[in-house]
Amino acid sequence: MTDLLLENQQARKIIKTLGLPIPVPEPLARADGPYEERPLDNKTVLVGGNGELSKELAHTLSVAGANPWVVAESDAALEPYAAAGEAWARPPRRVPPGDPAEATRVDAIVFDGTSLDSPAELDQVFAFLHPWVRKLDRSGRIVVLGRPAADAQNPAQAAARAGLEGFTRSVAKEIGGNGSTANSVFVEAGAEARLAPVLRFLLSRRSAFISCQPFHVTKKAKGDDAPQTQPLAAKVALVTGAARGIGEATAGLLAQEGAHVVCLDRPADDGPCSQVARRIGGSVLLVDISDPEAPQRISQELKSRHGGVDIVVHNAGVTRDKTLGRMTSDQWDMAIDINLGAVVRITGQLLVDKVLRSGGRLICLSSVSGIAGNRGQTNYSASKAGIVGFVETLGPQLAKRGITVNAIAPGFIETRMTNAIPVAIREAARRMSALGQGGKPVDVGEAITFLATPGAVGLTGSTVRVCGGALVGA
Amino acid sequence: MATAKNNGWGKKRRAVVVHGVRTPFVKAFGDFLKLDSIALGDAAVRSLLDRTEVPHAEIDSIVWGGVILPSLAPNIAREIALDLRLPASVEGMTVTRACATGLQAVTLAAAAIERGEADVVIAGGSDSTSNAPINLPQKAVHALAPLAFGKASSPADYLGVLAQMMPISEILPKMPKIAERTTGQVMGESAEEMAGRNQITREAQDAFAERSHHRAADAIGAGRFDGEVAPVEGHRGWVHADNIVRGDTSLEKLAKLRPVFAKDGTVTAGNASPLTDGAAAVLLMSEEKAKALGYAPLAAFRSWAYVGVDPADQLLIGPALAMPKALDRAGMQLKDAGLVDMHEAFAAQVLSVLKALGSKAFAEERLGKSKAVGEIDEDHFNVHGGSISIGHPFAATGARMVTTVANELGRTGQESALLGICAAGGLGAAAVMEAVA
Repeated sequence: MTDLLLENQQARKIIKTLGLPIPVPEPLARADGPYEERPLDNKTVLVGGNGELSKELAHTLSVAGANPWVVAESDAALEPYAAAGEAWARPPRRVPPGDPAEATRVDAIVFDGTSLDSPAELDQVFAFLHPWVRKLDRSGRIVVLGRPAADAQNPAQAAARAGLEGFTRSVAKEIGGNGSTANSVFVEAGAEARLAPVLRFLLSRRSAFISCQPFHVTKKAKGDDAPQTQPLAAKVALVTGAARGIGEATAGLLAQEGAHVVCLDRPADDGPCSQVARRIGGSVLLVDISDPEAPQRISQELKSRHGGVDIVVHNAGVTRDKTLGRMTSDQWDMAIDINLGAVVRITGQLLVDKVLRSGGRLICLSSVSGIAGNRGQTNYSASKAGIVGFVETLGPQLAKRGITVNAIAPGFIETRMTNAIPVAIREAARRMSALGQGGKPVDVGEAITFLATPGAVGLTGSTVRVCGGALVGA
Repeated sequence: MATAKNNGWGKKRRAVVVHGVRTPFVKAFGDFLKLDSIALGDAAVRSLLDRTEVPHAEIDSIVWGGVILPSLAPNIAREIALDLRLPASVEGMTVTRACATGLQAVTLAAAAIERGEADVVIAGGSDSTSNAPINLPQKAVHALAPLAFGKASSPADYLGVLAQMMPISEILPKMPKIAERTTGQVMGESAEEMAGRNQITREAQDAFAERSHHRAADAIGAGRFDGEVAPVEGHRGWVHADNIVRGDTSLEKLAKLRPVFAKDGTVTAGNASPLTDGAAAVLLMSEEKAKALGYAPLAAFRSWAYVGVDPADQLLIGPALAMPKALDRAGMQLKDAGLVDMHEAFAAQVLSVLKALGSKAFAEERLGKSKAVGEIDEDHFNVHGGSISIGHPFAATGARMVTTVANELGRTGQESALLGICAAGGLGAAAVMEAVA
């Protein structure tokens, strides 16, 4: 699982010294430890754009400990920042438009494009970011804020709004070599208060491997509680496939935020699964999820031992790769049943039995191959694309109970599974992303954990890719 | 054998400050060089006993504070009682809470009296920066352990110990410094950061320091501290007065000093509290006992509060949270306090706290209040200077403030006073004192 270009300092040095035409990926800064009160402590965050979210932005940044630099012609633009800046001792600094000084560096850039009305106004994002994009420090962050195109009052406004997404995806690909990411966030009118947790996550090191993604913050699901630290205290979480890889990393992160994690895996994986559970202070549930009795057993177990469940992470999955003509029906069935069938059955049972509590969080694992398609993976892709449809439909249905349903689509993640890929293909897959490297299980775990928090209530029915800005898929 | 005292355990009653006295506060590595924390504590308590003539048999205990504790005898309180030949029954405990230690000792004593555990308690604190122990690194200590415990016998054992002492740089004693254990930040750097975050200018800091020095010098000149400061004999002779106060300082002189903690910084030796040696002691009694023994109590405590903030954010902002909390507990508003006394760790820190107290946004976001805590009238604030001018022996400062404020309440006829102290580790302390008629 070693990435030579990332971890071998000598190799990196030689390539750089000789000027070989090999792009050397930048090691990503990752978070360490549980959610902090101030995830952006002392980070310089450049903000611009005459949007409608300046007050939320000012408050979020000050509370998170960031030093806001506001690009504006006059001090009037600092006004929304005054109160929060005073309360949290993060006074804003005004930066005149135009070229910054040579040595200036910023840790993150946020453009508030929520008031864009026409394609001509898209030049605001150009004028703001053009002089600054090369001043973004390593492992930097760009976040572009907008309103949903679907809610636009006229086609011209919708065009401007939608334009921001394409802009962000492209800028993400330009800054990826620096370990930096860019994402867009579209905030529905009335959902402004739900932006803060999303911003805190996207601007922090916890979103290290998420790039090129649009996020849609809505007011669909009920719930307004968003603790900043220990957000999962007193929550019960179920993680399937918890014995290793992404499941193991996720279980650890959920426990770190205060959740009691029920680690589920096949009876054959008793050893590693029990070790994970013991390490994180969780409990073990050994069930083969393809077993017809599994949904009932899981539901009963959660009900009787834990009184219900708040977070369900459907992580367990298998690959049975063969091109369609060579694939046996067993191979087809197994991939579809474990990756999709079991997810639908177990979720249904938890809902029928009312074991999933109000304010719950359902997170299903999809895959970039499911979205983009992959040779030899018709079965796997069908199952993983199925997940996208599943969460899209179930999300709105459960919104009234404050339950959100989302999918995570990992790209190339360094796991036992990807390590088995032949070296040439593996190397190509690694580099085919904006960040030019594979992600780690913990990167996927961080995204899942964020979606599991109360603060992620604004996101439902969505599929979040954790792919480092993979070149394939949409 | 004396009969066991039943101090009225569990009775609801009031603890009062009967008297307070301190040593002169002197610059570290100066006149008190040869006096360690215990010797300084002895001096302050001895003066307190002499001046109050409290019958030794009435004393229940000593609650003492120290920040740089002597590692061979860390329970300073008990050492003082033994040094001064107090009755063996005078028990002692030593507390530590960084710069809020002195106030902690006093409020612990008040709590014990109010709970009925004791009737007469001496509380206070002392610190000698001049006698800060210089510790060997853990590596050297562990390597030397076999020698200390007699486990090494053969030459090979001794060679083994020597071999572990390499490289030499790793076993050299470390210089003590006032740095946060969790962040590594030196306290002056924290003050510098607060100055930036709260936009406190160099000029404002220097003006505050100048005022502190002028007020303290005026108080000393007018004999205001005569009742509170007792002379102490150092190795060069008797020391009668504080020696850090500069009555002749001016904005021009202060402006010439270079920033210490950052190149373009604002915190200088002139607008920060200096390293100081000294001790302060306070005599507390239950109100009934004070009356029975014929004392006229000076003041009592209406409330107190201790808080913690994240040391990685604004290390010394604690009083901005502790002071409103103590006021709430006392059922008071800031404007009700006739006097406000705040420990001056750094001018930047005091001015940051004042700014926060005066901010509506701070009150709304950090205190859950709809209105600002309030502005503090300069005429009622640190009326006789503070730690910048008088000095700051860490554990003595709280007891010094309690004494000065208790006397000031009597002198001015004010009804109540608010105290605020910031401390390392992101701690904040506050207390509301009231005059006792």
